[in-house]
Amino acid sequence: MSKPDAKQIKAMADVAGMPVSAEVAERIANSIGPAFEGFAPIAGTLPFDLEPATFQFAQTTKASR
Amino acid sequence: MSTEPALMTLTAVAKAIADKQLSSHEVTRACLHRIAQWQPHLNAFMAVEAEEALEAADAADAALAKGQISGPLHGVPLAHKDMYYEAGKVVTCGSLIRRDYVATTTSTALQRLKDAGTIRLGSLQMAEFAYGPTGHNSHYGPVHNPFVLDRVTGGSSSGSGSAVGARLTFAALGSDTGGSIRNPANFCGVTGLKTTCGLVSRAGAMPLSQSLDTVGPLARTAEDCALLLGLMAGADPEDPTTIGGPVPDYMAATRASLNGLRIGVPTAFYVDDLDAEVARILDETIALLKREGADIVKVELPDQRQLSSACQLVLAVEAAAFHKRWLIERPQDYGPQVLMRLQNGLAVPGVSYLEALRWRGAALAAHVAATAGVDALIAPVAPVPAPTIAESDVGNAPNAESVIQRLTRFTRPVNYLGLPALAIPCGFTAGGVPVGMQLIGRSFDESTLLTIGAAFQRATDFHDRVPALP
Repeated sequence: MSKPDAKQIKAMADVAGMPVSAEVAERIANSIGPAFEGFAPIAGTLPFDLEPATFQFAQTTKASR
Repeated sequence: MSTEPALMTLTAVAKAIADKQLSSHEVTRACLHRIAQWQPHLNAFMAVEAEEALEAADAADAALAKGQISGPLHGVPLAHKDMYYEAGKVVTCGSLIRRDYVATTTSTALQRLKDAGTIRLGSLQMAEFAYGPTGHNSHYGPVHNPFVLDRVTGGSSSGSGSAVGARLTFAALGSDTGGSIRNPANFCGVTGLKTTCGLVSRAGAMPLSQSLDTVGPLARTAEDCALLLGLMAGADPEDPTTIGGPVPDYMAATRASLNGLRIGVPTAFYVDDLDAEVARILDETIALLKREGADIVKVELPDQRQLSSACQLVLAVEAAAFHKRWLIERPQDYGPQVLMRLQNGLAVPGVSYLEALRWRGAALAAHVAATAGVDALIAPVAPVPAPTIAESDVGNAPNAESVIQRLTRFTRPVNYLGLPALAIPCGFTAGGVPVGMQLIGRSFDESTLLTIGAAFQRATDFHDRVPALP
């Protein structure tokens, strides 16, 4: 997963109805960029049938030593 | 144990009131006296409601005299993070936007404590909208660390950490979305419990991230946290994400032994790049737990950086979505740090957000498999002791962003996995700054964490140390 650059962020903010300046877009790109990089090994690799509700299932699964 | 009312633990003072050794009036007056002494130094309270508190204390004493006891915390005065709605009371959420907002409902967690007999001392400071890990607040000023006043408290439950640390309230509700209970507990020398997602109702608590928000207590001991958790936990029709079933006897868990428990020490991430004093205190804590009967084993965990990144993506989007209307209509009314954090959510595409959510179950399953051989993990809450207020002030200090980033490095993975974690005081730096550790447990197994925390506190006195009035 590639992280969005400032130009893309500016366009996304416009679409969301919350326009930001080029300077703010640049700051956002620098701030959230590392999260995209950290998640990159996972992005695009998840199996088709995996849905968010599997979290509740995993919460109640008992581990055994 | 101190017999000065304000210095007692929650458990001890509740018993003293119930046994009529102390009146609620005496206890409340003792807290108000300390608040008057400390508040100018700490800025821990958002509002002090002295007159109302004393009236409520007198009513509690009168009821007790007639043999009427509300519950296990009858007549105990408490204050909480100013994001728990109480009908008829202003709840600022640490913000300018909600400076005059009067709640029309009462949060379930708060109501359950009120039903147990607590009375209200006032409300506690916090990071604006609970979105900041230091204790800075551009509208109401920073909250100060009671042990070293020029240091941060940690956030976002900054007032909760500071007020409990200074013995202004016996305990306080906090909230933990990315570390907001554990950070202030760590830096202020108190005990803080981040609960499993779904254990304690969030109804009537200000939202930040619906997937990550959790409600929990900061208190002086693990036993006090157990008492509060037992009163708050359990299903709530007002919050359908809460889990049903019987609430465990958490107080009984605090009396159990460490013998036979296995505590895992991560081989990487949580032990990397630690400040030397944090590393020393971690080693000393592990050695003491071993002496007390725990088995200590090394544990190799899945990549925690990926968990932290997923947490950031989820939090950024959900926080921005909650705030969208105000971001459009009132952006000028946010503090600059919080506005910047909220704007980060604009940069995350919907598909990326949902991928981060979809992975959560698989990531938790991988964690469960990796930790199957242990009952809990131990790790520092933060890699460094509390920084100064000045060096973490974004906009006024050159490296503030990097200082702040380090504060949530060890807390975010736990939020993403929805796990419980108990922060306990474990030592002090040479400069007198408290340092804590977090015990990370299995989902819904707060009991084991409380067992370990209470056993550690029976063998140490870090949690008993009281800061000196400047």
